[in-house]
Amino acid sequence: MAKAKTPKELVVEPVFDNNPIALQVLGICSALAVTTQLTTSVTMAIAVIIVTAFSSAAVALIREYIPVSIRIICQMTIIASMVILVDQVLRAFFYDLSKELSVFVGLIITNCIVMGRAEGFAMKNNPIASFWDGLGNGLGYGLILIVVGFFRELFGSGNLFGFNVFPLKADGGWYEPNGLMLLSPSAFFIIGIFIWVLRTFKPDQMEAS
Amino acid sequence: MPLENLKKNKDAPINTLIVAGSLCLVCALVVSTAASALKSIQDKNIALDRKKNLLVVTKFPEDAIESSASIESTFTDNFEPWIIDFETGERAEAACLEAMNSIGKDWTEENLTEKYDQFLASKTKNKAVCTRIAAGDDPANVKYREKYSYVYRLKNEDGSTKTWVLPIRGYGLWSMMHGYLAIKPDFQTVEGIVFYDQAETPGLGGEVKSQRFMNWWPGKQLYGEDGEVRIQCIKGAEKSSKHDIDALSGATITSNGVSKAMQYWLGPQGFKPFIDRMKSAGTPNSSVGVEN
Repeated sequence: MAKAKTPKELVVEPVFDNNPIALQVLGICSALAVTTQLTTSVTMAIAVIIVTAFSSAAVALIREYIPVSIRIICQMTIIASMVILVDQVLRAFFYDLSKELSVFVGLIITNCIVMGRAEGFAMKNNPIASFWDGLGNGLGYGLILIVVGFFRELFGSGNLFGFNVFPLKADGGWYEPNGLMLLSPSAFFIIGIFIWVLRTFKPDQMEAS
Repeated sequence: MPLENLKKNKDAPINTLIVAGSLCLVCALVVSTAASALKSIQDKNIALDRKKNLLVVTKFPEDAIESSASIESTFTDNFEPWIIDFETGERAEAACLEAMNSIGKDWTEENLTEKYDQFLASKTKNKAVCTRIAAGDDPANVKYREKYSYVYRLKNEDGSTKTWVLPIRGYGLWSMMHGYLAIKPDFQTVEGIVFYDQAETPGLGGEVKSQRFMNWWPGKQLYGEDGEVRIQCIKGAEKSSKHDIDALSGATITSNGVSKAMQYWLGPQGFKPFIDRMKSAGTPNSSVGVEN
């Protein structure tokens, strides 16, 4: 490991410099699924931020006791418990959203970002640093989700957060919604464009050809 | 120090077991505490969501489903929940209460419709409140059918019946799909359908809850001339057809599940006895069939 990073670096770095989706290309699957609307994107982003932050901290807390042979299983147990916790809270207080997110909350368990941070960072660092690292990576993931959700909802249904922005042709306005934006492939396009823009400004992220 | 020893020899088999065991214990405690602490709030949400969907399927305007208070008040003002016996098709609040009391629920006449949940009754697998369906006779994969079911009567202003809403369910690809079927008092014309609880593949089978799919239903006929259930989901259905609903593309099993749910719940094991009874009694007004 290089020398210890400050909390600020730990949080900010994964958002732009080392974004889990844009640079590491992890966690794509859920990014496609929940981003047709901004509301679900934001909820999913918050859920992932909470899960990565707290599960990284919890893994780091017991890292010295986790036997090497069962370390992945131990991480999974902690992550799964966190996810169930988040799911239960959503069901109790945001029932409509939890119905909308349906299986995807459960699928946070398999989100590579959460596991990746637990295995790659939390196993070697103290709980506080791991918490910040988890928070940063969750934010990096959330940023992409919100950007993708913004464009998909705006161009796919003319709305933002469910409020009409572009008056639709069907309601006498001028905007013809782009159906492709509601389908999963559009998320690939937007993520692709996002990576392109990011790498134009930060050329060091380009892979050597 | 036992903890020091655990840290030093963490790869010893016995310590592996200790760590795995205690980690599981702690996680299980956290999860189960959260689940039981939040249970009552979640149950309230589920009950409210069902009422909301009853209003949605009978096309109440948006402002009726805006808040939990408006849902509750619109529901109590307009709906009459009945409990019927599937076999006889008769109203059976008293029998249902007796059966539920016999399996240890201390409910009373007053709170029966508040407490009775037919899906939970079918999950008890207790002979007093549900029947096991023979495997070959179970197209919708219901397995256990409760003996007593709700039907919801939506009243017109003059007290006559505007719409009947029947709870239906059927197994799709991954999940039991719970829905409400709203039909006109002729027990033949569909007014609407809504699936309020399902976990089918989002974007494919999950489209059962989409507006596009729901729009196919109003005006369709449930039974054919011969009295058999004819309503079904098929590929490439015509809008003008009497019984056909366009199946969901890419979701054959979910669509079949919907067809089979119709077969079952509108058939003789489902609401058919009730429907026949109501039909032969003529269009009921508010007093017919009320046991007082």
